[in-house]
Amino acid sequence: MGNQVLLEIDNISKAFGITKACKNITFTINKGEIHGLIGENGSGKSTLTSMIYGLQSPDEGRFVFLGKEYKAHNQLEANVAGISAIVQEAGTLSGLTVAQNMFLGKEKEFISNGFLNNKKMNVAADSLLKEYGFETIKGADIVDKYNFETRKFMEIVKATYFKPELVIVDETTTALSQDGREILYEQMDKIRNSGRTVIFISHDLDEVMSKTDRVSVLRDGEYITTVNTKEITADNLKELMVGRKVDNRYYRTDYGTPVSEQVVYSMNHVTTKGLLKDVSLELHKGEILGIGGLSDCGIHEIGRVLFGAERNYEGAVKFSDGKRINSITEAIAEGIAYTSKDRDNESVVLNASIKNNICMMAYDSLKKGIFISPSKCNSFANKFAKKLSVKMQGIEQDVAGLSGGNKQKVVLARWLAINPEILIFDSPTRGIDIKVKADIYNVMDELRKEGKSIIMISEEIMELIGMCDRILILKNGAVNGEFVRNESLQEQDLIKKMI
Amino acid sequence: MEKKMRMDRRARGAVTLLGSCLAVYLIFKIIRPNNFGSLSNLFSYLQQALMPAVAGCGLYFIVIMGLFDFSIGANIVLSALIGVIVGNKIGYVGFVISIVAVASLLGLINGIVYVKCRIPSIIVTIGLMIIYECLGALLASGSVFTLSKDLGAFGHAPMNIIFSLIAFAIAYYFLKCTKIGIYTYAIGSNEKSAENMGINVKKYKVIAFVLAGFFAGLMSILTVSYGNAMSPSTNMASMSRSFTPLMGCFFALAFKNSINPIISIIAGEFIITMIMSGLIVVGVPSTLQNLVIGVTLIIIILLTCRVERDAVVK
Repeated sequence: MGNQVLLEIDNISKAFGITKACKNITFTINKGEIHGLIGENGSGKSTLTSMIYGLQSPDEGRFVFLGKEYKAHNQLEANVAGISAIVQEAGTLSGLTVAQNMFLGKEKEFISNGFLNNKKMNVAADSLLKEYGFETIKGADIVDKYNFETRKFMEIVKATYFKPELVIVDETTTALSQDGREILYEQMDKIRNSGRTVIFISHDLDEVMSKTDRVSVLRDGEYITTVNTKEITADNLKELMVGRKVDNRYYRTDYGTPVSEQVVYSMNHVTTKGLLKDVSLELHKGEILGIGGLSDCGIHEIGRVLFGAERNYEGAVKFSDGKRINSITEAIAEGIAYTSKDRDNESVVLNASIKNNICMMAYDSLKKGIFISPSKCNSFANKFAKKLSVKMQGIEQDVAGLSGGNKQKVVLARWLAINPEILIFDSPTRGIDIKVKADIYNVMDELRKEGKSIIMISEEIMELIGMCDRILILKNGAVNGEFVRNESLQEQDLIKKMI
Repeated sequence: MEKKMRMDRRARGAVTLLGSCLAVYLIFKIIRPNNFGSLSNLFSYLQQALMPAVAGCGLYFIVIMGLFDFSIGANIVLSALIGVIVGNKIGYVGFVISIVAVASLLGLINGIVYVKCRIPSIIVTIGLMIIYECLGALLASGSVFTLSKDLGAFGHAPMNIIFSLIAFAIAYYFLKCTKIGIYTYAIGSNEKSAENMGINVKKYKVIAFVLAGFFAGLMSILTVSYGNAMSPSTNMASMSRSFTPLMGCFFALAFKNSINPIISIIAGEFIITMIMSGLIVVGVPSTLQNLVIGVTLIIIILLTCRVERDAVVK
């Protein structure tokens, strides 16, 4: 195919708070190609593409599309310019019909004399769906009637029927069955064969290898390289994806430390609706058990189940003495601590002071008679803020003003203050700079040495390898591999089990 | 096969709604066979139900988005007071136009204040309700405004019914035959996605408030025609006027997947009117009447919003 440039990505940067999701990314997409875009979680792929189709705007840099500078503020503007996207999550609005979803923002074509002609819209939708071979989907039906995969088919039609120059397929295949994938591939080929372009994001390197013409690799928000798919192997791609030399200085250094045989907490054949499939695990006393996998494969759900936040499951979660947890309150009373991946919304109270955040769960011990003693609170909060070296102006400062890392330290301080036996850390170092990360790893190691049991849920493979005594890898909601701590464990070994 | 399933769901919805209608009817009919539920009684319940049903149609646009408007009661009072003044001077045209204009304007103010201030709609509209009540009280300065006898046509059959049918047709038009209806549902479904898809969310929220005001104006016309007079309300007394239309909207939400919302609003208001009339016929003291209405409301909401387990309720 030709080498005419379709889209220039020119020096694009985007930051969320202190996390730089994209750093000066520059490369080009050609006309008439299927261009793969790969990278680990957090490498910046989705951020980059969401800027291309208008969900976010870049902090710096610009896009040049078809020779002109291009900027979209929402998907409709992107569509008008000739760019569309099929996204990872749900891209349909419930309560609306298939036809209404399909032509959202484009109703004008169906309005005559001030009346929206629903019938005409349904007929148009039906004929498009038929053209794509989806006769079973009906334009007049409410989308909620259809399952996730079928709705994805509808989105495929929505994103491609108007023949946009560029279609972004953002990790859509994970939601599709093999048959569904074939249908999507067929559409992608059609687009390329008509001289138009696809950007294809996927974690499945095999499909990237077999479907794309060229592949660009992102790592930690930086552009690494673009290669011709024919000239490379899947293993080469993996190396490019995870390439960095592992920096071990921040992690535990011990190997071969024996782990106690004593099981303190366990999960037996737990299945939750749509996420976990028959997951069993045992947490031993004094170990760090890592749980890794792709973002939506169920790893975060495990933390919620173990903490009693998700009670809608089959199977059993129990302590060594057979006791079960029925609520979060009970879990805490039994000595379980939990830090959520969504720190701002689920772990800290943003508009309260550091003092109140730290004392939150310890007020019973801070009483003097029937009153809570302010002086006890002050010294208590100071003690734990200091223990975790929270960088702050003082304990009266609001948590909202702290950096992500220091917020996390406040969360840890709050839990350590009530001395839990089991700690569940979900993505404890997410969006945290390397200095604070090291502090958090240190705290975890200290806790381990004190005989506390830790579950570390993380999408970052390196920290799992660096910190855990054992690692369970989940794929599509089921345990797909187990690794025991050893020096020769490689990132690639874990990735193989994840994708 | 699929078509059959769709029919089934619709049929189920219709049966449930008709069933609850019939159940309420039978309960009171059995208790008071002679004083409740004759054909002429039923016709009068229907006429009563038309008022909140008309306002409910407008309020539905707000409720679907997950917002509230508690000011429509105050809107009805204030627009009626102005309508009576204008109508008594220049006749029907002035009466109708002034009420609808004032009511829509108040809706516009609600919408703009809500969108600009970014405060929850409940709080904005309660604040504005108090202001509208106050304006009405200042305007009336303690007196009752009586509508001239020549302007009473909308107060009885058949004009009230024709008037309401036109109102329902307008609601149907906006809900089904314009972008407004689709976007209202889209915003209610997922505001962020809707915005990302290029919908001007603020604009359509303001439009929804204007529609709520407009239909409150239509209810205002019926209300003042039924009673021939309007007096100002203060101390949030107008809230109770907002309340019945809101109940109709909850019915519409409960059946939104199976029955056209306008039909379920009418049916819902009819059921509520039957309950209220029935309670009076049975001789339940007014305090206890409120108890029944409160319980009914909670039951309806319970059936409407099946909140997921563990979801945060505010």
